[in-house]
Order: sequence, then structure tokens, then C-alpha cells
Amino acid sequence: MITRHATIESLVRGNVPQTPDPDILRELAGGEIGALGELYDRYREPVRRFVARATSDADDVDDLVHATFLAAASSAGRYDGRPSCRPWLIGIAAQLLRRRRQSFGRFLVVLSSLRAIRATAADPRRALQARSEVERALVRISEPKRITLLMAEVEGLSCAEIAAALGVPIGTVWTRLHAARRELRRALQEGEKS
Amino acid sequence: MSANPCPRLFEAEAMRDGRLTGPERTSFERHVAMCPACSREVQALEALAESLRASPPDHTAADELHVRRERTQLLAAFDRALLGPRRSRIVGHRLRWPAAVAALVVAILFLPRVRRSAEAPAHASSAVVHADSTAVWAERMVGNCENVVLERGALWIHVDHSSREGRLLVVLPDGELEDIGTTFTVSADDGHTTRVAVQEGHVVLRLRGQAAIALGPGDTWIPDSRPVASARASVVPSADPAPTTRIDRGERRTPSPRSSASSAASPASDPSVDFRAAMAALDVGDNHQAGAAFADFLGKHPRDPRSEDAAYLRVIALQRSGDSAGMKQAAIEYLRSYPAGFRQADVEALSR
Repeated sequence: MITRHATIESLVRGNVPQTPDPDILRELAGGEIGALGELYDRYREPVRRFVARATSDADDVDDLVHATFLAAASSAGRYDGRPSCRPWLIGIAAQLLRRRRQSFGRFLVVLSSLRAIRATAADPRRALQARSEVERALVRISEPKRITLLMAEVEGLSCAEIAAALGVPIGTVWTRLHAARRELRRALQEGEKS
Repeated sequence: MSANPCPRLFEAEAMRDGRLTGPERTSFERHVAMCPACSREVQALEALAESLRASPPDHTAADELHVRRERTQLLAAFDRALLGPRRSRIVGHRLRWPAAVAALVVAILFLPRVRRSAEAPAHASSAVVHADSTAVWAERMVGNCENVVLERGALWIHVDHSSREGRLLVVLPDGELEDIGTTFTVSADDGHTTRVAVQEGHVVLRLRGQAAIALGPGDTWIPDSRPVASARASVVPSADPAPTTRIDRGERRTPSPRSSASSAASPASDPSVDFRAAMAALDVGDNHQAGAAFADFLGKHPRDPRSEDAAYLRVIALQRSGDSAGMKQAAIEYLRSYPAGFRQADVEALSR
């Protein structure tokens, strides 16, 4: 909370409107660092939440968020001008998640073995139990299906946009969505029974 | 399990995914109005989506200090990218491991304390803003960050960080000013920042196209094109990107004649503010200042729980600054003070 003490009556104070996303991206494309700071402040939370939910590996969430904003900065000049750039950022994050899965598959096997050692110190079941029923069901779905479902149902991207972001045919998006919903509903039903 | 009660049930999902268009969609919408099974399926799909959209508690959520550090690292990485890949690669290779180790150590050791403090009764951060008669300004919340947007005029701002790790950002016409627990005055005119004067604590000034500048108590920053005769600018350019404007260094300082590092040694010296100031210097790449600030912190707050972190980060800062002799001495001091410290192995390697 900010307490104001205006010393002079003629103080002019108005609500400065939030800079539109396309303007921020235009400034960012011009190399203005303040624009990146503003973009980060505005969308760090939703991007981070998406990445954290999309990946089952919580350890590199920060790296992926960092990479998402840097990738956004480097491709800001190609932004299509939509009023909100949130879906665009989510698309970038999804691409990075996909690339990470492809490029670091073997590396993740090594990391997984290291995580097994660390698990003795902090029992992951506690964190899992703390999650909601939906979150618990969500982590049981494979990462490609989970990402597709979150992009469609949470971020509101169309199937065509998801297909473009993930570099897969639109039919694959439909298939993944159907399978993800089926698995999620089944997991929720099993959760209700137990 | 019974069979599908309606042969058109699958169309509920097809409609949701945009696979049904035109007459097919219209036909199914009419059908849903009359078919209880399809109506239930449409509602079930929407309920499933709604449960996903319900904001989940983020168990991996980072504390404010961590967010600020991530933000600073992002902007520094962007700066490096603008300056060219060759230099960034050199700097990156040289700093990657120390930076990673330092970030990891701070994250591991500092995060639990911050979270513990968050469990205490909630405190609102408190910022007091005095504006002059010409000021045009506003405040807004961006996430958890309090932004004070200054178009023109002068603001005197005091932020009380004694209650929690609050964050305040002054958005300037040509950049931004990040508060790190402080009292300061900032002025802007004609689309440019014209003056920043810090009375207490530290701020980081980031102007577009320029390196970040850390300002400490008593420092006054005035842009190159303006008269600077009366100002002492203890301004520190970032180690990475060279500033595009000249940094003037005057000699007059108010109110304290001491250096930035030692000036914080006032009786009211706050360990959290001192630690944050040292971290800020490290974040912006002012490694000499960071080394001095961590040494200062250790001198003033030897029993603080963060003293081991500070001792280790001092070694890292001196290593980054290229001061090998200073780094070895700091490493020896760390090992002497913390013979069974968490970073003993790393520091031993650096002490040789």
C-alpha cells in the first residue's frame, strides 16, 4: 500500500493507462530494456504458472521462464499485434518445453537419477498431497498431452494456434486433447472412489 | 459401464475444439437443447476446463527477492545479447559457474528464511511519496510489484522495508528505478530522467540503452548533458555493458562523507538492507563494490545468519572482479571462520 502526501494542491495525479502489449513489443524490438522489464512484470506469473504446471520437472521452471522472455525479446519484431501477448508467450514457452524434451531427453535421465538421491531428503509425496485433486490428476498425464490441454483450456489458444506453436498437425492436437480429457476424467473418478 | 447413451455424444468435444463449424455446429447446438446426455457432456467438459482454469496454488512459487534476482539476470542477459554474442560468450563462460554456484547457494540458504518470515503476520510494505507541484505521476500494481509511474516533476520516496521484503519500482519516461530499501528523490522532465539522489539505502537505475547503475547513500546521479557541478555521483556502471553516457563523478556528498560501503555503518544500519545492497551490486555486475559491501556486512553483522553466505559471496565477487589476491585472502578468511562451512570444498579450491 502506498501512502501519499501531496504537498501542493495543484498536484496532478491521474491513472496512467497501461501501455498496450503491441507497443511494449515494438519498444522491445527496438532494444529498449525497460520494455522487457515491463513485459516480465506483467506476464511472469502466468508464464511461470503455465511452465510449472506443464512440466513435471520443477527444477528448471525458472530457466524456462527466463528463456521464454529472452526468446520473446529476440522475436518481438515478428509479433502479430494482438492486444494481449499472453498466448504468444505461452506458445513460446510450449516450444521451449518441446525442444527441451527432445534435446535433453538423455540428460534428463541423468537428472532423474540425481533426483532419486535428493528425494530421500524431501519426500515429494508431501508436495503432491498438497496439490489439489485436479493437479494430482494432471501430473499423471504425459507432458505433450498436458501441455496441449493447458494451452487449450487454460490459455484459450485455438487448436490451430497450438498446432503452430508445437509444430504438429492439427489432428495431433485434437487427438491429444481427447486423450488428455479422457485420462484426466478417469484419474479424477479414481480419486473420488479412493 | 453403459454404452454411450447418444450417438452424437462425441460431437460435444468436437464442438469445443472447433471441429464443428457452420451448419454442423448449429445442428448440434439444437440437438444439445433437447438431448440430456449431450447436454450433460457439454457441461462436464466445461466443468473440467473450469477446474483447470481455477488458479492452482503454486508450490514452486519464488519469493520476492528471488523474483527480483531473476528479473535482473534477465535484463542483464538481454543487455549482453544486445552487445553482441562474442563478448557475451566470453563473459558467460567466465561467470557461468560462479554465478550458478552463487545463485544456488543463495537460493538454498536464503529462500527458507524468507519463507519463514512470510509465515509471520502479514505486513504491508509501506512507501511514502511526496510530490512537488509539477509532478505528474501515478501508482499501479503489476503482479506483486508496486509501480510508481513518473512522467515529469520530482518525487521524494521513502520505503520502509523493516516489515518485509517489499518491492517498489519507479517507472521513468526513459527507464526505471528499482528501490532496495531506501529514501531517495527522483526527477524527470521532457521524457528523460533528470536527477536521482539517494539519502538512505540503495537503488538501481536502469535507463534504456544504458547499463544498470547502482546508487548508494549520498549519491546523486545527473545525466551527462546536465550541469553536474554540485553533484557527487558515486555511480557505478555495470561490468558487462559499457554505458553509452558518461558518468560524472563530483566530490560533494550529502549528508555523509563516507563511502557507499562504509556509509551504511550508521548506528541504524539494517543487516537486511546491507545484505540486499551487496546482492544488488553483485546482480548488476559491480563486483568490486559487491566485494566491499559483503566485507562491510561481515564487519558490521558478524553474527547475522547470512554471514557465511556473505563471506562466500565476497569470494565470488572478488573472483569475478579479477582480484586474485583479494579472492585468495577472502577464501582463507572464509575457511578460518567457517572450517566446516557449506562451501568449504569450493572455497578451498579457490584459496589455492
